[in-house]
Amino acid sequence: MSAWRQAGLNYINYSSVAAQILRRSLKPEFRADALKRDASHVRITPWADGKPAAKAQQAK
Amino acid sequence: MALAFRNTLRAARSLMVRGYAEAAPAIKEGEMALTLAAGNKVFYNKVAVKQIDVPSFSGAFGILPKHVPTLAVLKPGVVTVYESDGKQAKIFVSSGTITVNEDSSVQVLAEEAHPVESLDRSAAQEALSKAQSEYNSAGNEKAKAEAAIAVEVAEEIVKAAS
Repeated sequence: MSAWRQAGLNYINYSSVAAQILRRSLKPEFRADALKRDASHVRITPWADGKPAAKAQQAK
Repeated sequence: MALAFRNTLRAARSLMVRGYAEAAPAIKEGEMALTLAAGNKVFYNKVAVKQIDVPSFSGAFGILPKHVPTLAVLKPGVVTVYESDGKQAKIFVSSGTITVNEDSSVQVLAEEAHPVESLDRSAAQEALSKAQSEYNSAGNEKAKAEAAIAVEVAEEIVKAAS
């Protein structure tokens, strides 16, 4: 078993690390555009009894 | 009134005559349909090619037409495509999957893919040394594993970019 599997990572985690490194290793003219794909934003609002139970949290 | 309606109906029916579907682009003997795409770009969409070499976790392997159906997980590295006109294209893939189907069509789906010409050796070396220092200073097992992946990928990019 590979070391990252042993550490509790899965292939999705592996893939995102690999993609991130590749984006950083591009020629400057392609890099700026590629780095925009690094970030992702998810807003989570927990609900209880049909109402939002807490304010929206910004997840990474 | 009824006659007019019948005439309209007949006219409509003649418009709906079905023909044969346009023939799919023919794949010649000794070639296979390749789809190679990533989150950032579609490189090939069912294009006839002669051979494809891919790096995978079950080892790097070459695919020729009539290859046995296969599924594999991509390893970061260079995919080489031998196009039908004899040209070779080298594309670096970060990760993803490769599928070889019974009809010899091949799908390579990557998270991120770029032609090797777009890689920057010095940027890759920078990423490599950053990953190495992160590996040495990693606090927990998970961070260490992530840094180890980064080192592995950066090493491959440096190799491919030279």
